[in-house]
Amino acid sequence: MKHNKLYDTLFLAPGFLVYIIFMIIPVIMCFLYSFTNWDGISASFRFIGLKNFVNLFQDASFFQALKVTLIIMVLTTLIYNILGIILAALLNDTGKLLGFSRSAIFIPTVLSAVVVAFIWSYVMQTNGGVINAIIEMFGGTKVDFYATPMTTIFMISGIICWNSLGFFVVIYISTLTTIPQEIYEACKVDGAGWFYRFFHITLPLLAPGITINCILSVAGGLKQYDHVKVITGGGPGGATQTVTLFGVEKAFEYNRRGYSSAAIIILFIIIVIFSIVQLAISKKHEVEY
Amino acid sequence: MKRIITLLMAVILVLGMFAGGAVAETAKSKIVFCVNIQPQLPVEYWQSIADAYMAYNPSVEVEIIGQPSSNVDVFQYEKTLLATGQFPDVMVMQNPADFVPSGALLAFDEGELDYLLDPNIGKIDGVQYVANYKKQVIGVFYNKDIFAANGLEVPQTYQAFLDVCEALKAKEILPVSIGIKDGWPQIMLANMLAGTDLLANDTSWGIQRNADTVKFNNPQLVKAMEKYQYICQNYAGDSLPSITYTQMLEQFFTGKAAMLPMGSWVNAEVAKAEQEFEVGWFPMPGDDNANVLSVFVNEGLSISAMTKYPDVCKDFVKFFFADKALYSDFLKGEQLFSTTKESVPYEMIPLRKYIEEAIAGMQEVEGFESMTGDAAFLPGLKDYYTNKLTQNIAIGNDVATELDNFDKEWDIAKEALN
Repeated sequence: MKHNKLYDTLFLAPGFLVYIIFMIIPVIMCFLYSFTNWDGISASFRFIGLKNFVNLFQDASFFQALKVTLIIMVLTTLIYNILGIILAALLNDTGKLLGFSRSAIFIPTVLSAVVVAFIWSYVMQTNGGVINAIIEMFGGTKVDFYATPMTTIFMISGIICWNSLGFFVVIYISTLTTIPQEIYEACKVDGAGWFYRFFHITLPLLAPGITINCILSVAGGLKQYDHVKVITGGGPGGATQTVTLFGVEKAFEYNRRGYSSAAIIILFIIIVIFSIVQLAISKKHEVEY
Repeated sequence: MKRIITLLMAVILVLGMFAGGAVAETAKSKIVFCVNIQPQLPVEYWQSIADAYMAYNPSVEVEIIGQPSSNVDVFQYEKTLLATGQFPDVMVMQNPADFVPSGALLAFDEGELDYLLDPNIGKIDGVQYVANYKKQVIGVFYNKDIFAANGLEVPQTYQAFLDVCEALKAKEILPVSIGIKDGWPQIMLANMLAGTDLLANDTSWGIQRNADTVKFNNPQLVKAMEKYQYICQNYAGDSLPSITYTQMLEQFFTGKAAMLPMGSWVNAEVAKAEQEFEVGWFPMPGDDNANVLSVFVNEGLSISAMTKYPDVCKDFVKFFFADKALYSDFLKGEQLFSTTKESVPYEMIPLRKYIEEAIAGMQEVEGFESMTGDAAFLPGLKDYYTNKLTQNIAIGNDVATELDNFDKEWDIAKEALN
């Protein structure tokens, strides 16, 4: 069949148009608004240069939100990837319960983040929560998961991971299936044990999967909104607020759309920098066979 | 040729239908009414108002819209509508101060709201933008059975209130049901204390704050917030950050907690009569007496300055109050207090009747964060008060530092307006 550039363009156009309207234009507008004093509702606004960015760097609540965002990002990235690789290695085998185990790990990923966060926020309640009810049933002392901002952030990170871990495991399993069995067999013949094989064959050859999972988990962690919104709403007193929550709050409750846009642009830049650095590091460690 | 003629005729027919539709459309004035959908006031209730008005004025079509989700505040939804050029013609309005600077609201002329008991309430720079449709009072609901069983009296001073709390705590009964997870329920207690210790002594304090002649970090407000913190830290249980509004109600109505500081809308819960005890009510006492009442009068109906039909909209607003059956249904849902000169009777529960009698003669002050008109908080500060200030104080942060931060937020909000 003859390759026709016109057809290529026609078939690409709808998707590309949607992408431009809903992704590119909003990003450009957000960038422009970040240099304005727009309140989000008035018909007019004026350009104020870098004032929003200067104010942001003097705003303690923005740095608090940035800190929370980075903590959640680090925790979720570690859990997704360490636990993800372990589970993928365990599930990339044969066994009676393999299908069930794979399904059990993947099912939470199809559930809505809002629903998951809502359910878990009740499960983790200090008074009346299922976990504490079980602890007390066995004579233990109840745990206050909301005791401090840090325990709450740990709890939120755990819930996020429960919700999405399956997705990362699937990527690792699919990467594992691309590793030729001959390499393992040759290694076994040479007398290598499970750990040696894991660290010297599996892990290096998993690099492409690690690259994509790290980029996705870092970007996902930095964009975190829905779980935190439902579980704590950013509270108490903004102690668990992420940058996205900060941006939405400033835009829709404080009528400071320009300021909010500046915060989101900074987050955008951070995500881009992280992704570039990750790609550069990961590419170095990818092994070809 | 035949095909072309048939096609042309079809096109003409379709265009004719559209043209006819357009004529029919222009014959009716269509207004969009943005409502606040709540459990007691579902969309069906608001639709009944629209239907009644359309029956009363057949030349008008009223379309009802409401916030898309229960976790979206109607005033935030309205901001989104305004930003996207879809601002409704008539709307439920809670924060006019957020909208007035952008010129989004139509002013009511002098005398136009004379059917209201106080048409001047909430004026901004001497102009009225809201037809206030309800008054709610804040107080402390209490479990009469627990009080009676422990020989406790309704407290008349703040110290007596603490004594009651201490006595309940000694009996291992949770004295006060408070939670900060949802962000807003805790402000009821904070508002009442700010009312007794600050606003009751200086009714123009909000206006002075907006003129920047006073600060949030002042001895009266520090005292009020320290009282609030003391109660939260000592008498509200050990899981303040994880308690939602629903759980606060559950703690009180199942008899686990003896007192619930909340707005008069709790009467709607009392009316369900699911509790196995008698519910009482008292105003939060100050140092010397229990004579100050915090009230919410910050909600009503507003009209868009961009509406094509300002007269129709004003007539619609008037109709809302004039149709006694509809207005009384509105009040009955939450056992509210009417704002019209003419009284609007509806079926009240005994507690609601009691509250009406009890508050007669009390000094009324507006809910601290919901002050109206020229005293209203600058955009964003209401949210800061609910989601930051009162939460941080409740979990034990230093009161003066938090109020200092609130003053800094005021500076930022003021600068953003300029």
